[in-house]
Amino acid sequence: MPYYRGICNFCGTGCGHLLRVEGNRVRGVYPVSGHPLSRGRLCVRGWHIHELLQTEDRITQPLIKDGGSFKPVSYEEALDYVVEKVKKLSGRQLAVLGSPRASNEENYLLGKFARTILKTNNLSLSSDAGQEESARVLLEGCGWPAMTGTLAELRQADFILVVGGDLTKQNPIIASEIHHAHRGGTFLATISPRKTQMARLSQLHLRPRPGTIFYLLQGLARVLVEEKAIDDDYLSRFTVNSQAFLDELKQIEIEKIVELTGISREEMTELTEKLIESNSAYAFYPTGVQSLDRRTMAALFNLFLLAGKIGRRGSGINPVTGISNLLGSYDMGLSPVFLPGYASVEDELAWERLENFWQTRLERWPGKNVDTCLSEEKDIKALFVVDHDEEIIRHVNRIRQLDLIVYFGAYENPFASLAHVIFPRTSYIEEDGTYTNSERRVQLVQKRIEPPAGVRPLWKTLTNLALALGHDWNYHSVESIMGEISQLIPYYQGLSYEKLKTRLGLKWPADDLHPEGTDCLLVEEAGRRFQFVQVNGQEEKLTGEPEIQKEFPFKLVVGRSNYFWHQNSVMKRTFIPKREYNALLLLYPRGFVEISTEDASRLGLREKQMVRVVAESAEVRLAARISGDILPGMLYIPYFIDEMIPEFLHRQVADLEKNEEFFLPVRLEKVV
Amino acid sequence: MYWLTKEQLLLLVKKLAEEYKIFGPRHDRVSGEVIFDHLSDWSELDLQAAIPYNPPKFILFPHYEEILKYRYQPETKEVRIEQINLLEPKALIGLRSCDLTGLLCLDRFFLDQEYVDEFYLAHRKKLFIISNTCLRPFPQCFCVCTDSGPAAKDGFDLDLTFTGRGYLVEAGSKKGLALIADLHLPEAGPEALTLKKKIVDDSVSSFDRFALENKAWISRATNRLTTGFIKPEVWEYIGNQCFECGACSFVCPTCSCFNIEDANLASGETNRLRTWDSCSFEGYTKMAGDNNPRKPVEDRRNKRFFCKLSYSQSKKYLRPGCVGCGRCARVCPGDIGLPNVVTYIRREITGESGE
Repeated sequence: MPYYRGICNFCGTGCGHLLRVEGNRVRGVYPVSGHPLSRGRLCVRGWHIHELLQTEDRITQPLIKDGGSFKPVSYEEALDYVVEKVKKLSGRQLAVLGSPRASNEENYLLGKFARTILKTNNLSLSSDAGQEESARVLLEGCGWPAMTGTLAELRQADFILVVGGDLTKQNPIIASEIHHAHRGGTFLATISPRKTQMARLSQLHLRPRPGTIFYLLQGLARVLVEEKAIDDDYLSRFTVNSQAFLDELKQIEIEKIVELTGISREEMTELTEKLIESNSAYAFYPTGVQSLDRRTMAALFNLFLLAGKIGRRGSGINPVTGISNLLGSYDMGLSPVFLPGYASVEDELAWERLENFWQTRLERWPGKNVDTCLSEEKDIKALFVVDHDEEIIRHVNRIRQLDLIVYFGAYENPFASLAHVIFPRTSYIEEDGTYTNSERRVQLVQKRIEPPAGVRPLWKTLTNLALALGHDWNYHSVESIMGEISQLIPYYQGLSYEKLKTRLGLKWPADDLHPEGTDCLLVEEAGRRFQFVQVNGQEEKLTGEPEIQKEFPFKLVVGRSNYFWHQNSVMKRTFIPKREYNALLLLYPRGFVEISTEDASRLGLREKQMVRVVAESAEVRLAARISGDILPGMLYIPYFIDEMIPEFLHRQVADLEKNEEFFLPVRLEKVV
Repeated sequence: MYWLTKEQLLLLVKKLAEEYKIFGPRHDRVSGEVIFDHLSDWSELDLQAAIPYNPPKFILFPHYEEILKYRYQPETKEVRIEQINLLEPKALIGLRSCDLTGLLCLDRFFLDQEYVDEFYLAHRKKLFIISNTCLRPFPQCFCVCTDSGPAAKDGFDLDLTFTGRGYLVEAGSKKGLALIADLHLPEAGPEALTLKKKIVDDSVSSFDRFALENKAWISRATNRLTTGFIKPEVWEYIGNQCFECGACSFVCPTCSCFNIEDANLASGETNRLRTWDSCSFEGYTKMAGDNNPRKPVEDRRNKRFFCKLSYSQSKKYLRPGCVGCGRCARVCPGDIGLPNVVTYIRREITGESGE
């Protein structure tokens, strides 16, 4: 029963672990102290990943829907079924949904399958638009679509700013690194309306009103300028449009920002002073369901650029991914706006290069993400989905109308029941694969156990399907796919299984210049100057019409929490995390809404008293949970799935999921 | 005492392997990790390796264990219970004295109270234990403060002390003596006792130089914890930093809390499972009817350190519940391993300023 080294597959931190394998079963897990990022730590999820890997709820053979139920079939029958149907459809009628938990190799191949064989550009990951926005903002600003800093040097930082989200819950081990830095003397500031654990640990917690983080960041930039704390030399040498940006900032009035956000000028100055004093400064923001919106990310980037903290060793702007391979999946081009390696779909040369590389003609029409396809595109007839459960289920009525739903999955889940044909796939330790964490660290996870008899890995099923549709891909191993990736994607150029087997991951770009990977973006190596990202802050209304405010005075936001963390169906298959989840479900069997202590006492509410949350179009009854963690005027519903998200929220969830800065105006009524 | 040459060590392992499954410390080449693991390749055994990151607890008390299977037949209303046979002789080679002490604490919990845990007993029954004296401490160690090292006092079948030339071997049981006889190990003579004492004394006196990570002040903390004179603010401060991951319990050689789950299998059978659990989880103390006597994080943290250090708990183990291995400090995302908590308690007593 030896312990095998591997990488945790829950969140985008990518912690090192040891799996204890007994026979063909995973019987335990333990952290690896030598891992450069996790340094011997795991969070509650990581400590129970073996429980998930034990589950009996596996899909173990291909299935075809026959009336109301599924009948087991051979791979060949299932392949024939798909080929028969796909042949009758054009690319525009097809959409592909990848999984941010799948490996780079699997997602690369899925993208290649979509673009070269299905001839569709409708391909995306689950609705985490935050990651795409974040990549676009950073590409525009500095040419790198991910973390420009490194986590390994965090403990030496002078200044860390965490904006939005609840990092201690979402990426606990990254939060732990920040916590360690803080305990070692780093100045830690948090910007979040909610009093998160990170906020409690910070020296400075700015609590702007919901929806106003953007304005606060703009205000901070304005304060920087007013305090004359700008390094003109840095700006003139390394940026292209600083003058235009400074001109824009001039139009901002601090008094207005103070009024909008509820943050005093003194608090703002305290933060900017620390930022400017610091030699080494990092900003963190989440990019998942609780991500910031585009303009807020842009404002944060601009603030750090203005402070001269981009492109230097020991500093950087660090988006944090919530799911294990979210970054890698984008690297592989599983997106309607990026080709593999972040080439833009608007770049004709990139298309030609790709056609040349794949030796086939590619469609140029603009693709859409699956969410948009299902809500807007009438033509969509078929959907290919990898390991997915709940996020697109709100389109269930539309999905039911489709002619073909092909599902590739390791575990049974509610979404799979909608499929016409199901292909089983291996779990993440039943086949080799690489995963790219938030830090751009590409890590190899090696096969440690045998899959259930007959279950093929996704790359094999896709290769079989390609062949059945007339394309002989000729991959003999998953390693050969990595070979192809390293030829196509410059960031991955210097990566190979051989290299990754003897290292605890390498941070891309790994190329001839950086054979051992790259810690951080350096302005000398960027190959271009940086630029301030365009934001259109002025046009948007901030707090809605005053009448609406009068009628719906509360701002309702949704958020995640440790155990209920997205893809609930994953957590439900564990024991200890599930117990913690059920503990809350038992306490609030019909869900809850958090309300501030101040509002509760003003309204005379008791803990667990039933209240009605009324929005413009719908209402819901929930138990009140009184909390000192949220601001007066704010209501908070944790992002649970079916059991706790009432129908009411399902209708709003598309908007609420977009980013943390979105809120719904509601009013609260006591149920009598 | 007896002598064992380096070469004979492999013979000893080979001899044991005839009857026992071999466990011991090995290196993971890529991460450099020292893991206490089942060794199919004995050449991987490294008695010079640092203290393993994982305590050997999992061998007797696995992270996840099927303890029985049952099947209910609705037609006949019969339940068939199948007991899982756990009896498998195991040899643990190169146990550090802190980990051996931890094992003895587990014995007290699982075997020496009113109720004897038969699953633990089944693992424990056929065990051959070889402890290994720490010639010098590792950075995280503080076993001298918890009376659990650097050399083992009892509980072993054989105890090894490396002298540079070979190992001094002490037998702690008849099984151990029999193995010594089997291998025809030569007696070491009276000077061996002096040599071992010198090695252990040197090790103890080198704590100031090597064990730099943790300065624990165990006895005063025990006093404070027992009398309950620790201000609630100290616990709140500690609670604020807790990430509620459970790691401190999972890596602790003496933590014995577990959870029982019934997992229904596709075959229609049900597996009864025992898994590790931790007092840091909210669901751990939660009762039916919504009541939770330890709802706030700080109350749960308080509980853990009470369990490790208070006198009333020590009466159960006949020693402190902490064995000074320092692992909880290494794995804690919130930096509130036991040594740090002791530091906070000390600061409260002495009025030193924080940070």
